[in-house]
Amino acid sequence: MSRAVHHPDDITEAGPSPATKDDAMTRETVTPETMTPETMTADTPIPFHRLLVVEARKLVDTRSGTIIALIMVGLVVASVVARGAVVGPKLQTLAGTAAVALGTLLPVLGILTVTGEWSHRTALTTFVLEPRRHRVLAAKCLPPLLVAVVLSLFAMLVAVPATAVTAAVRDMPAVWEVRPLGLLGWTGVNVLSAAAGLALGTLFLNAPAAIVIFLSTPVLWAVVGRLGPAGEALAEWLDLNTTSTPLVSGAVSWSEGARLATSAAFWIVLPMAAGLVRVLRKEVT
Amino acid sequence: MRCHPRSRWTEHVIEFKDVSKIYGKVKALDDVTFTVGPGSVTGFLGPNGAGKSTALRILLGLARASSGSATVLGLPYAELARPGLRIGALLDAGAQHPGRTGREVLTLGAMTLGLPRARVGEVLDLVGLTERESRRTVRGYSLGMRQRLGIAHALLGAPEVLVLDEPANGLDPQGIHWMRRLLRDLADAGCAVLLSSHLLHEVEQVADRVVMIGRGRVLAQGTIGELSRNGGLEQTFLALTAHADRSPGAHTGPGVEASRGAGPGRDA
Repeated sequence: MSRAVHHPDDITEAGPSPATKDDAMTRETVTPETMTPETMTADTPIPFHRLLVVEARKLVDTRSGTIIALIMVGLVVASVVARGAVVGPKLQTLAGTAAVALGTLLPVLGILTVTGEWSHRTALTTFVLEPRRHRVLAAKCLPPLLVAVVLSLFAMLVAVPATAVTAAVRDMPAVWEVRPLGLLGWTGVNVLSAAAGLALGTLFLNAPAAIVIFLSTPVLWAVVGRLGPAGEALAEWLDLNTTSTPLVSGAVSWSEGARLATSAAFWIVLPMAAGLVRVLRKEVT
Repeated sequence: MRCHPRSRWTEHVIEFKDVSKIYGKVKALDDVTFTVGPGSVTGFLGPNGAGKSTALRILLGLARASSGSATVLGLPYAELARPGLRIGALLDAGAQHPGRTGREVLTLGAMTLGLPRARVGEVLDLVGLTERESRRTVRGYSLGMRQRLGIAHALLGAPEVLVLDEPANGLDPQGIHWMRRLLRDLADAGCAVLLSSHLLHEVEQVADRVVMIGRGRVLAQGTIGELSRNGGLEQTFLALTAHADRSPGAHTGPGVEASRGAGPGRDA
């Protein structure tokens, strides 16, 4: 990549006005000076890692993307610190508090990631460069999942000094014990909620619709759970918020695992599969 | 200057073969057949709503034809390994994230295609966007600047085929002059250029060949000279499009309408 790279200024010799630079332009730069035979290989597909890097970059290369990133980091720190002030210096509890913020923000991030190109109509350019749309979709889905893992780790890191400072300020003994499996499961819950956002976003390809549906699910389950034994069972098996709770304890029984798998299929696998079909078929306008 | 020697195409770089597109009961394209050869600019001329954009979307794999086939360099677009290095396209200059800078838009494209970053500077120079303009967000761009950005994006991979949908929209007279020169030079270097337009004079000034389309049908095609015989290109265009506009009333009784809905002769 670094071979034959010229600084753009080396090439600019014509004046700034497009009308006067006609001659220079067509003679010199239509034939690219920076392209080597290697970079011109049109016979191999774009490597997936490159699509991944590009899609990750699209998350943060606009002001709105940067703001969302800052809000997520800020809310993680704020929730951990605030919880420390209230419940005292308990490491695992403080780290876990971040899930309240992440449980809403990660799905929204997922939704915005997969719907953005359809609302701004940049899908037009993206799919012209890579017409195998499923590869683009896969490259879009990985960064938010990774963000879920990174923010979970970040919350644990923030919780360490927060615990120490809380202990010092309130003059209480700090509780440093953590259940590693519990933290792992807790990270898993955050990844699942990001995945649910991605799946809903892909299904609707419309950010407002997907966000409203996502935000109204707790209400939905509250109502369904009150509709007699059948409704109760339905909520028990399909409400991802409830079924993923055992993960946090680090010990999941077989029946809890079955419920988790059922609700994950309902909220992640099914909508993602239907959404994939939509993305592959939809006319890009 | 050269167009890339990768191209060994001698005749049909772009080929539309009996392409039809039906939306519900509306036939947006009706048996569209034409080809574009290398080293030429082909104008795809028709009034608004004639089906030009639909045809170009089908060509680039963004929409599916109801029947028929469209190929570029001998293959359906989606089967080309890395089409961005062989085909440059600008379909809608307005389809940009308003919060992204022009330079960032091009950087994303260059990264996707595996091109060195310096290529971004080159195409910016090529379309006459300054360093300063390139660092502003697209939100503040005029339509003309967006067109230039879109053309820069299309040229990133130094393609041998260019597909442009109404590229002159919003360009000032200098811009139009500039684009004419650019397309002419690219064609002279061996590239195949297909540009759509509803503006007759624009097409007349730059194109070697013209494909006229109205109501989803190809009405006429040929060189500018051939189509100008009966009192000029404008006369031909007006006569043909007027006929196309009237044709549903002229040709369709209730029976014909019904048979159209059933898709005469091509549906299973």
